[in-house]
Amino acid sequence: MSANLSELGASNKSNLWIKQSLRLLHHEFRRGELTIICLAIVLAVATVFSLSGFSGQIKQALLTNSSTYIAADRVLRTSRVASDDVIDKSQFYDLKMAEKVETESMVFAGDNMLLSELSVISNSYPLRGELKVKQTIEQEESEVVHAPEPGSVWVELSVLSRLNIDIGDELEIGVASFEIKGIITDIPDRSYRAFIAGPTIIVNIADLAKTELVQPGSRLTYKYLFAGESDAIKSFEQWIKPQLNDTQRFYDAKQAQSRLSNTLTTAEKFLSLASMLGIVLAAVAVAVASRRYGQRHQPMVAVFKALGASLSHIRKLYYLHWSLLSLISISIGLIVGYCLLLLGINAIDSYLSLENTGLGYKPFSIAVITGLLCAIAFAIQPIKSLIKTSPLSVIRGFSNEKPPRFGLHQLPPLLALFALLMMFSQDLKMSLSLLIGGMVVSIILLAFGQGLMSAGRSVGSQAGKSWHLALANLKRRASENSVQLVSFTIAIKLLLLIVVMKNSIISEWQQQFPENTPNHYVMNIAENQLDSIGDFVNTNNIQSQGFYQVFRGRLSAVNGELLISRESNENSKSEDDELTKSENSEKENSSNEQNNAKTSDEENKPRQGMGRELGLTWRDELPYQNKLLEGQWWQKDEQQGQVSIESSIAERMSIKLGDELTFDLGGKTFTVPVTSIREVNWKSRQLNFIMVFNKPVLKDFPATYISAWMVPEQTKTALGLFFKEFPTVTMMDFGAILKQLYQVIEQVSIAIELILILVVLAGSLVLVAQVQASMEERERELAILRTLGAKGSLLRNSVLFEFVALGGIAGLMASVAMEIAVYFLQTQVFDMSASLHFSYWLLGIGVGAGFVGLVGLFSCWRLLQLSSVTLIRRTM
Amino acid sequence: MKLDPENILKVRALTKSVQLEDKTLELLQPLDLNVNVGDTLAIVGSSGSGKTTLLSLLAGLDLPSSGEVYLKSNALHQFNEEQRSQVRANHVGFIFQQFLLINSLTALENVMLPAELANVSDAQQRGKDLLAQVGLSERADHYPSQLSGGEQQRVAIARAFISQPDILFADEPTGNLDSKTGQHIADLLFELNKKQGTTLVLVTHDQKLASRCQRQVEMDSGVLTEKITQPEVSVDIVTVEKVG
Repeated sequence: MSANLSELGASNKSNLWIKQSLRLLHHEFRRGELTIICLAIVLAVATVFSLSGFSGQIKQALLTNSSTYIAADRVLRTSRVASDDVIDKSQFYDLKMAEKVETESMVFAGDNMLLSELSVISNSYPLRGELKVKQTIEQEESEVVHAPEPGSVWVELSVLSRLNIDIGDELEIGVASFEIKGIITDIPDRSYRAFIAGPTIIVNIADLAKTELVQPGSRLTYKYLFAGESDAIKSFEQWIKPQLNDTQRFYDAKQAQSRLSNTLTTAEKFLSLASMLGIVLAAVAVAVASRRYGQRHQPMVAVFKALGASLSHIRKLYYLHWSLLSLISISIGLIVGYCLLLLGINAIDSYLSLENTGLGYKPFSIAVITGLLCAIAFAIQPIKSLIKTSPLSVIRGFSNEKPPRFGLHQLPPLLALFALLMMFSQDLKMSLSLLIGGMVVSIILLAFGQGLMSAGRSVGSQAGKSWHLALANLKRRASENSVQLVSFTIAIKLLLLIVVMKNSIISEWQQQFPENTPNHYVMNIAENQLDSIGDFVNTNNIQSQGFYQVFRGRLSAVNGELLISRESNENSKSEDDELTKSENSEKENSSNEQNNAKTSDEENKPRQGMGRELGLTWRDELPYQNKLLEGQWWQKDEQQGQVSIESSIAERMSIKLGDELTFDLGGKTFTVPVTSIREVNWKSRQLNFIMVFNKPVLKDFPATYISAWMVPEQTKTALGLFFKEFPTVTMMDFGAILKQLYQVIEQVSIAIELILILVVLAGSLVLVAQVQASMEERERELAILRTLGAKGSLLRNSVLFEFVALGGIAGLMASVAMEIAVYFLQTQVFDMSASLHFSYWLLGIGVGAGFVGLVGLFSCWRLLQLSSVTLIRRTM
Repeated sequence: MKLDPENILKVRALTKSVQLEDKTLELLQPLDLNVNVGDTLAIVGSSGSGKTTLLSLLAGLDLPSSGEVYLKSNALHQFNEEQRSQVRANHVGFIFQQFLLINSLTALENVMLPAELANVSDAQQRGKDLLAQVGLSERADHYPSQLSGGEQQRVAIARAFISQPDILFADEPTGNLDSKTGQHIADLLFELNKKQGTTLVLVTHDQKLASRCQRQVEMDSGVLTEKITQPEVSVDIVTVEKVG
């Protein structure tokens, strides 16, 4: 019998932990005791799911939208016709393909001739974006088109003015004749090279042969445009890239245009940063909540052990309890995250034209891994401590059992956090920075906060007045408060960081492209045209940056050492204009550096040159938005020839102050010393030059003039007259690309705002969770004070003041920490200039004091609604 | 209601019930009680008899379901929590079984607390005096976690008397203590009570402690019965009748 009973007892016991765990879970859910911990895990998972899905969609959308700027998803640019393999492979991957041939040619209309840029396109062009044409000059609306009919061409308006012809007239290109059938109003992949031949004429590729422009030695650029599903494009890219030679490039929108690339890269980095901060906040919320979970269950574990439950029983009970809790929270988090994601996508769809390609598995898997990591890594220590609770605690109490602040027990959550950051961003630098920076900040905050609050502890609770009571409480609880302070500070700091970075980035973009940003470059102006053109500018209210002389020349030697110019087709370079330095040219030149590195071991290899002609100019004063890094700027009346060089070129070519540079201008050479090195703000649309001389150097050389104009929309029709009057002057219209950039900036700003909202939610939850945790610790005191007759107003005000003070201190420390973090991010990650943000300090302190104070007050108010006896019972 | 000036506490037809999921639990049957100024009254009864519930109502910690409670002419049954809190601040002292000291305050600071709440200027001096009276002068700067149970209760007693309350409520003051320590605590309690002339209402299941009071009432399943203990002391008859 007893054996049977003991067998029965044993089998009952083996399931007992399951039953107890489920019962405990059920009761706690019903009583709302698991709200905070569940919310924390739900938030962590929902944040990661929505942010990774959202930012992934936005990045894809930005890239897709920006693909219109190259009229395709990818472009192969080559100086020769591509092999059939390329065409076959693109068909294999089911990619759409279009062809474009670019060249310069004289075109003739009667006795008049004009050097033009020919764009010879196939019928499928463009694959992304829109080519727009209008049939008459007066027509208001343009049509979206592909290629002109064979035998006809479309031209830019200035072609008509310069050749004095009209739509319907004949135009001779090469040996063929074409009818002008439309005026181009919009070209998606407009070429922005400076010193291009002239206005654009679009021809059907079927007509290329009959023009007989394709001859041995012709300078033609062949472009093969590809578009298709993202995976197919990537596979095709992986196939083609290893086969490219030096004269070929395969690029997407980001690689094509540096200014756009900068904007997109900055946007992507910011999206990653914001998302990572959201994850950090969510992880902190889980850490705070799991700590509370452990503390709250201590009495139960103590009683279990006092009643004879084994360690194994308790371990299984709580592992199951925590596992189920986490599973339920992760599931809810996925649903909430998905809903948030849909909301976000819906909100920005009209701005970004998101593709309906589905989310893929990545956001889902990242979110699940996040939930599991948070559930395991952040709960290890609290659950371990919980299981180790001594049964003696039923007699002695629990308040003194705290793990040491710093120790190995903090390794799992830190590693988990790092893994989360890396998984999300795949950016080691940013992940390490956030983690290490956060740890350093936390340690400093702990020490500082504790010191601040425990300074001058006075005797007595100072319970007579609310403010005295609040300060006395702050100081008394300095140790516990310092931990809470760190949580508050980190949450506020991360929120401030996001807001400040967002505003800095957008502000910098706007500063680069203010309202009066020049939208036209005017080149090849002869000296005798200056007065007339000046009159034209004044008459038509055009904002001009003035007229500057420009000379075309080549750097041929440094300190007498001749430079080797890499043989390159100028057309194979970046399509950015030469007047602004292109990051792409840096990338291209970095391949030169690699070549240099390869050859550096070999002796007597000559120095590499710049590989192209430069636009040279002179100035009396340091140019606008140029910063002198080394040397001195010359005096206006100095006769000794000098040159100032741009800093990154100087670094790349190892040119120092005092080096003698030899230039070749139209066959004549001269040598001048480098007397200063400048940093140039290439991001602005000012006229910038790599080499700037003082006036005496260039006074004997023939020059043309250049200017940058802001031509208002209503004045653009007057440009037709300008072209008629000044047919030899070249004008580049940047209006379209500026418009593109403004659009991207606007789109990204909206996306950033939405992500900001999610991050703010995460930060708010951390603050709420931490306030709740600290209110529980204060509940006992409140109960006693209430019982002893403390007025409700005294208690509410003291809690309010205490939390306001805590929040205010946290806000102040967060502001300092934010400035340090922003400095690092601005200078090291976003390539921006550093700045201080004192106005945000007020925001940090105000938000900290206000938010934390109000949440504390609300929690206190709820407690004080209870009767004293209920309050006392809750604390027992 | 006009009270006899001798009455400090008057209760009429007091009941307390709580609503559970499917039924109503009657914690107290209708009862009446009068306590005169300076009386020492023990409420005895077994666990679950309702004595702590009664104490909570008498002290204004809770509201009755029906009936009246007057404490020094204050109609507690009509007061909200804030008003009852004020009454407690002005007239009432407490001693609890669990001591209910604030862990982050020292012994002296715990004692000073009620005086500070009442904006008494010499709270610190008073606190030191009372700690001396309970024999804990040298432990003034120690925290509750550093004190034994008996010492904590002595601090609680000192705290209860610092604001010289009109009436002191003690809920099982020796319940968590061993008999020897409990004896000392009881001695201290009655000694201080006598010195200050405070009315004492004491809840206990310890008959020995109860017998030190002038009067005893017994709670049994929510019903209050007067226990005749000292015939020479005037007694306001407590008639317990079920109403309704």
